[in-house]
Amino acid sequence: MKLPIRVEVNGDWRELEVDTRTILAEMLREQLRLTGVHIGCATGNCGTCTVFLDGKTVKSCCILAADVDGQSVTTVESLADSPDNLHPIQQAFVDHQGLQCGFCTPGMIMSTMALLRSNEDPTDEEIRQAIAGNLCRCTGYEMIVESIRAAAQASSSSVGDA
Amino acid sequence: MISWELEFHAPTDLAEALDLLAERGEDVTVLSGGMSLMPMMNLGLVKPEIVLSLNRLRDLAHVTDDGDVIRVGATVRHGDLGADPTVQDAYPTLSSAASQLGDLQVRNRGTVGGSVAHAIPGADYPVILMAAGGEVRLDRKGSSRTVPADNFFLGLMWTAREPTELVTEIRVPRRQPGWVTAYRRFTRTEGGIPLVNAAAHFAPAGVGGVVAVGGVVPRPFLLDVPAFDPDDPDEVLDELEAMASVATREQVPSVDEDADYRVAMGGLFARRVLAACIQQLAGGEHTGEPA
Repeated sequence: MKLPIRVEVNGDWRELEVDTRTILAEMLREQLRLTGVHIGCATGNCGTCTVFLDGKTVKSCCILAADVDGQSVTTVESLADSPDNLHPIQQAFVDHQGLQCGFCTPGMIMSTMALLRSNEDPTDEEIRQAIAGNLCRCTGYEMIVESIRAAAQASSSSVGDA
Repeated sequence: MISWELEFHAPTDLAEALDLLAERGEDVTVLSGGMSLMPMMNLGLVKPEIVLSLNRLRDLAHVTDDGDVIRVGATVRHGDLGADPTVQDAYPTLSSAASQLGDLQVRNRGTVGGSVAHAIPGADYPVILMAAGGEVRLDRKGSSRTVPADNFFLGLMWTAREPTELVTEIRVPRRQPGWVTAYRRFTRTEGGIPLVNAAAHFAPAGVGGVVAVGGVVPRPFLLDVPAFDPDDPDEVLDELEAMASVATREQVPSVDEDADYRVAMGGLFARRVLAACIQQLAGGEHTGEPA
């Protein structure tokens, strides 16, 4: 069964036809080629598929594409227009080695953005709570927390846009 | 990831949803936040032919203050429930549990009604609703009924809901002066479903209370707390722990390799949640904090 949907993705309204079996993460990756949205566990645990849906972070593996008709989706691709001009959160992850294999990174970045929107100066405990829904299989959490701490210091003025 | 053909419905009003359930309820799987259903579908553990999404319904996202009772619509998301000032004031234990379950992304998407209808052992709301004397409202085309929580949760992912019915609302009593409530949960990993949880409710103070225990058993159970002297609670704590252990043992198959552990944890968490209430009774203070 195919359904037409209208969805705003990274600021542009798109008219799409989606198979009802398609999960949001697949739609973003395969129909729109937004491959920054990773699919890890597909069971809502790892969080690497985290995107914003109407302004709140969700795990896009656990939402049917047909269910986001009329809504707004923001992916990690919206943060920077080129590798030379990274978002302060992305730059902080680069500068502080907040990634090893990089597979969890898009989700970590989106959860960081959600955190810094509501809390410009989070404690380490608040940072850890904010990424509780994002797993790093490399277990590089210390550097991720350090990166988020640095991002908070660097970017309090510029994280509200995406 | 989902390999079979899926018929998808996402009505905007409740009547339309109830129509579909009336006609084809046996074949319909209701999708709310999807925090349990979608992983099961992605893994092929359940293969619904017809999915009825509640995510576009406008009717069930309410939190209504009826004075002595607070009504929470089925599609209210966990994070919104936790942040709702009416619920924070009326039943703080429910509010704080909603704010701490799962992780942020789960709280942003998962719903009250979905969790209640899914009825996985260890889910946070069932024991809290049972201890509070809360109720679950079920609607079908042309009629509705309200079921006490203790009669709604029947076992592992098994509730009193009929296939043609929809969970539309939960109802919790508003706290009265002197009420004391507590909730305790234990997960092995951050954000996981509790392996054991327990809720206690004393209303009004001094008249005894109830403790509900879940997670370690397929069906959460409710125990009356024996009368006790708040200044000398050791005896009642031992007694309740033993009662909860027995009640857990009744439901845990002896072949279960974790049986003894479950029995011990069921008893221990009944004890802890009662101890938390007794502490509040002694201090005369009401807090809703889970451990």
